[in-house]
Amino acid sequence: MEIVKQKRIAITGLGIFSAAGKDVPSFTRALMTGSSAIGPVDLFDVAPFPSGIGAQVRDFDPRDYFSRPDLGRLSRVDQLGLIAAGEALADSAALKHYSPYDIGVCMGAGASGMLECEQWLMQTMAGRKARPSLLRGVLPDRTSTSIAEKYNLCGYQTSITTACSSSASSIGWGADLIANGRLKAVLCGGSDCLSILTFSGFNSLRVVDPSPCSPFSLGRQGISLGEGAAFLVLEDEAEALRRGAQIHGYVLGYAVGGEAYHMTAPEPTGEDAARLMLQALERSGVSGAEVGWVNAHGTGTPLNDVVESKAMKMVFGERASQVPLISTKGLTGHCLGAAGAVEAMATLVALKEGMIPQTLNFRGADPDCDLDYCHLGPKKSAARVALSNSFAFGGNTTCLVLSGSDQ
Amino acid sequence: MNTAKTDIVITGLSAISAAGVGSEALMEALRRGESLLKPVPDEILGEGGHLWAKADAFRAADFMPPLKARKFDRCSLLAVVAAGMALKDAAVTPGSLDSTRIGIVLGCGFGGISNAEQFLSGYFASGAEGLSPMLFPNIVPNASASNASIEHKLKGPNVTVVQRFCSAESAFLMAHRFLEEDRADIILTGGVDEVFPTMLRCFKAMGQIRNFGAGFGEGAGILVLEKASHARARKARTVASVGDIRTIGRISPGAQEEGLARLLPEPHRAEQISLSGTAGFDKWLLERLPDGPRIDIAPILGRSLAMGGLSLAALILMLKPGSPGLHLASSPEGPYFSIDLYGGDPVQS
Repeated sequence: MEIVKQKRIAITGLGIFSAAGKDVPSFTRALMTGSSAIGPVDLFDVAPFPSGIGAQVRDFDPRDYFSRPDLGRLSRVDQLGLIAAGEALADSAALKHYSPYDIGVCMGAGASGMLECEQWLMQTMAGRKARPSLLRGVLPDRTSTSIAEKYNLCGYQTSITTACSSSASSIGWGADLIANGRLKAVLCGGSDCLSILTFSGFNSLRVVDPSPCSPFSLGRQGISLGEGAAFLVLEDEAEALRRGAQIHGYVLGYAVGGEAYHMTAPEPTGEDAARLMLQALERSGVSGAEVGWVNAHGTGTPLNDVVESKAMKMVFGERASQVPLISTKGLTGHCLGAAGAVEAMATLVALKEGMIPQTLNFRGADPDCDLDYCHLGPKKSAARVALSNSFAFGGNTTCLVLSGSDQ
Repeated sequence: MNTAKTDIVITGLSAISAAGVGSEALMEALRRGESLLKPVPDEILGEGGHLWAKADAFRAADFMPPLKARKFDRCSLLAVVAAGMALKDAAVTPGSLDSTRIGIVLGCGFGGISNAEQFLSGYFASGAEGLSPMLFPNIVPNASASNASIEHKLKGPNVTVVQRFCSAESAFLMAHRFLEEDRADIILTGGVDEVFPTMLRCFKAMGQIRNFGAGFGEGAGILVLEKASHARARKARTVASVGDIRTIGRISPGAQEEGLARLLPEPHRAEQISLSGTAGFDKWLLERLPDGPRIDIAPILGRSLAMGGLSLAALILMLKPGSPGLHLASSPEGPYFSIDLYGGDPVQS
């Protein structure tokens, strides 16, 4: 493999707004203490569904963050994204150092403004006149456009829509945009919110656990949906150091690919997942021995967790049982289009704190999931490098290789 | 100024649009220059006077068994068939090359939304019993690219992007970079989109049906991008090579000139120019373009968020060997792209 020589991609800004924490400090506390955000959902009527729980952002009054005219223009997913993006940009202080044309936005999107569009459709079907502004977020690019406008980011902008791997891909692609010099700074991450569409859809597929999801546990029945937004600011390390920026960690590399197998089922042997994990390591110049742990896609669906465990064995061989494979979805829920970014954030926070997060909601050991999942509690770790996996509908797969800061 | 050609070439393309199926149909429509937009049936919007450009000549049954076609949404059908045609045009035979080295990066605007509407309509009409699990997997915007990857066994990079009227151009940039980085040897890129009644009703509700929502079309334009060395090694025909790709997300207030200079550096030479998205309305951009014949497919084939795939295909088909072409795409308030292409094989020309 001929790899183009990469600049070292530094992470200089972090921002998150999720059910498990409305900023980086509160998210860090939740991650350290294993405080699950999964509970009853009341954003819409969940009574018709077998499962009525999820990780909903609670105690959130948008009027605390936005003016009245802005609120008329912004969907819930835009609001979550704008708040998290604002935290990341303020943390990096990159805006005042570069031309606006040298700063871009690249984000992963999922259901986007579907929550509001559903209201339009429901009201229209009932013969009522619905507010046209409910439709503003129908396209997944609306949030990135709003972010670019609000913070005057005038460089390249895009929205990646590969379902549950969207925002992981946005981080990898963001690193590429810095590496090839197209941008000097890029805001990358994702935003997604709960909606009737995804809630009813996953329930109709019978992959939603009626109890909080329990990845890699015996008796797990599926996912718990979540919502939130997380963003990173990436820069060339040399430029970041020159301007005295704080460096939280690095995107060492990534791999993106497809399984070409099935729209909803993972390739059962785990070979394609393993291929992309190995490719991510190779492209990062990192050996398997340097990886301390892996933040799994770890949805809690019976098949996905087994396949990911198989892939781990192919990647790490005999060492697989010594490389914890953990899932933070029991904490945050499955944030779909934002999942990869929320999990990258969890990975960076944990690397910084020197710990490996616990996989919550253990129900018993599954003989088909026979690795170390940190089910019984978090572990201290001196690891410098971790992988973060994202697998999506369509077989879309993205693996990020992240490291903590050198300090 | 035009920049040097990169090491990335285009070895195949396909087009499905209101003009018909295949690049010959596209070329014939461009030669005629007549609008193929047709009236939107009055019952859809409750009024007449609106146009759209459906790809009426495209019948999935011409390419696959009807039972198989039923599992795809329309956008996926367009993508699956167009991807197969593009691979054939590039003489890429399934199984003859390493499938992990062939990827797909597509722009897609409204993909999945028609399925989402059907799925939700079932729920709002009949409650949980009205939910159709069969529809749900194809509500994701990446359904078209992912279904194409499954059908053609493409295991390389697989990404779907949307960014207003520049969705295909954003995909093109990503595909180009993936090849430069050696993430793949071949990548299918371009755009796919569909037009459906509820979409137009939404445009009408939002007051866009007589503005940028007017005259929407559907179809797919897919290009086969490949490293020149790889194309030469397999003796593939090269139809164009790629020069610089420039983009800005939006114009910064008070710094318009800097943005323009980054997007369209002067002097610039182009013997053929294609306009995509809403570039045809942007006088301040048009004034900066070099002289040369211009083609805007929107009045002929309709406009769509991922129409850049068809526009790029049109430009390539019109470029003479060795001659420079410029593709300019924009959306209202951004983003903006300008892409340099050169006709024919860079070695021969």
